[in-house]
Amino acid sequence: MALLDVNDLCVRFATDDGDVHAVNHVNVSVDRGQVLGVVGESGSGKSQTWLSVMGLLARNGQASGSVKLDGEEILNLSNRQLSRLRGARMGMIFQDPMTALNPFLTVGRQMSEVLQWHAGMSRRAAAKRAIEALEAVHITGAERRLSMYPHEFSGGMRQRVMIAMALLTDPQLLICDEPTTALDVTVQMQILALLDELRQRFGTAIVLITHDLGVVAQIADRVTVMYGGRQIEQAEVHTLFDAYRHPYTEGLLGSVPRLDAPRTERLPTIPGHPPNLASMPAGCPFAPRCGYVMARCRQAMPPLEAVDGGAHLRACYYDGPLGKQEGVT
Amino acid sequence: MSELLYSVSHLDVHFPMRDKGLFGKTRLLRAIDDVSFQVHRGETLGVVGESGCGKSTLLRALMRLGPATAGSLQFEGRELTDLDDKAMQPLRRDLQMIFQDPLASLDPRMTVGQIIGEPLRALEPTLDAASRRERVLELMRRVGLLPEQVNRYAHEFSGGQAQRIGIARALIVEPRLLVCDEPVSALDVSIKSQVINLLMDLRTERGLTYVFIAHDLASVRHIADRVVVLYLGRVMEIADRDALYAAPLHPYTQMLLAAVPIPDPRVARQRRMSVVRGELPSPLDPPSGCAFRTRCPFATRRCAEQRPALRDVGAGQVACHHAEAIAEGRAERASA
Repeated sequence: MALLDVNDLCVRFATDDGDVHAVNHVNVSVDRGQVLGVVGESGSGKSQTWLSVMGLLARNGQASGSVKLDGEEILNLSNRQLSRLRGARMGMIFQDPMTALNPFLTVGRQMSEVLQWHAGMSRRAAAKRAIEALEAVHITGAERRLSMYPHEFSGGMRQRVMIAMALLTDPQLLICDEPTTALDVTVQMQILALLDELRQRFGTAIVLITHDLGVVAQIADRVTVMYGGRQIEQAEVHTLFDAYRHPYTEGLLGSVPRLDAPRTERLPTIPGHPPNLASMPAGCPFAPRCGYVMARCRQAMPPLEAVDGGAHLRACYYDGPLGKQEGVT
Repeated sequence: MSELLYSVSHLDVHFPMRDKGLFGKTRLLRAIDDVSFQVHRGETLGVVGESGCGKSTLLRALMRLGPATAGSLQFEGRELTDLDDKAMQPLRRDLQMIFQDPLASLDPRMTVGQIIGEPLRALEPTLDAASRRERVLELMRRVGLLPEQVNRYAHEFSGGQAQRIGIARALIVEPRLLVCDEPVSALDVSIKSQVINLLMDLRTERGLTYVFIAHDLASVRHIADRVVVLYLGRVMEIADRDALYAAPLHPYTQMLLAAVPIPDPRVARQRRMSVVRGELPSPLDPPSGCAFRTRCPFATRRCAEQRPALRDVGAGQVACHHAEAIAEGRAERASA
């Protein structure tokens, strides 16, 4: 059984201009020790999907469907039940650690609180555990660091502190929302190496939400691609990069400037821009930008279906060969 | 090479910083420390480096929007550090800039037409409204905006479109140098490449010169002809694009390139994720000698004792005592 099983998850927001369907019918699972990459651009629904799993949607958001952690339904639990679950069994880290850390409390105090609250530890035991957690994320001089405030750490160190805090209670699942986007490439590499190490050492399942295909290629086992609030393709990482079957995935991979290929004079691009969730086109959200669009694509959203009956899923009516979008500008 | 447009020589930008407490001592932050490079007409010079390398300070100095403690900034042969604000004013049209966060850099109370036309109003006050409007519309079309969007407000546009507005506003006065401050790093992947292509086309069409400041080495490889690599306010390496990416000479450039994510799992997983050593030292307390030595696998005692000068090696310039030995595989690598 998968550690986390998401079924037909939908998220909608009530706004002054009517309902916005930010996430539609997402099905995905995560196994223990596995890294699931979630790729998408702004408005793809990639963050809202996982905020709803954590029970952290904004007040006007409403999630439906099912999310099972270790077989137990956790979607729409009460706040009280959720706050137990969140600290102890799943954690989330964000792009900007400063938004999640309290600037007025020392790192040590914030870490101890988690342990005193969730594990009922004494202060002394909590401090000891906090030092271990900082050491696990390779922060040197951990004991001294406990008395420091968040602003005294560099961006990369702050993200390590966040990961250490999330790890205090040995969560089974760690959701990372663009954890390296605000960081320099060298620091990003160090954080990715750390996440990879944690999953091996502790068997933590990791959901890695990112816009960067390079980040996914580095440590993900499986990848799900989202666009306009929907999953449009999902596959094992090598399959996704070598044998993608969705025109959007093709366009995305083609338009990334990359160091491992010869430089071309012009970068291939995807025309147009991502859709506005408040005014979604009918049918497939990618249809207005797609090089293979057919009449039916504009009428109904294609279902997410298995390619060749396997674990490779995609939502697209087009069945011909890809590769024609190359050089679209 | 072609004609010199902008020359930076031995530029220092230092900020006095006072330590905590009433009697804290004042230390000097050398945000830019003896930086020299040249920009040739018609080229794109990429400037890369990570946080704290002095990119922003450098670009403010280039634009004369920030201080220069010592050294020389020459634009078309004129020394800019001698000019006061008033004397700089006529030169402002020649030096334009585009920003990382396009929406934040556009006035929300102005229409697109007003935003793009504003520099013209200031710098060509004799131009009548109809001609100004004509120039605005023509440029809007060129950067991929629709003329009928001229009366809309900036917040109605997506990030990519807002960056197009920023580009039009910068180009309307026909500058000679466009300084681009991380212009694509806040954009979605599928939009980034559109804007890079647009910038490259405009450069060719209009004979523009760019200084393109970015931390994204893959984008810089696409757009730049030459690249300057900064670390802790100092130049580590300057080289032609192809040489820099194929055979980086400085160990810092090598580390930086090895850390760029590769969107191919097979290639990505063959790389050692441990290539990055250590952390960026505090700019207030940089290492003695070579600024990079604390993270460099090839560092020797000499690197701690003597600051390496930027010197010619092959076709480029590099500030490393051991560049030749490293390139020839003779340098001893410390175990990580």
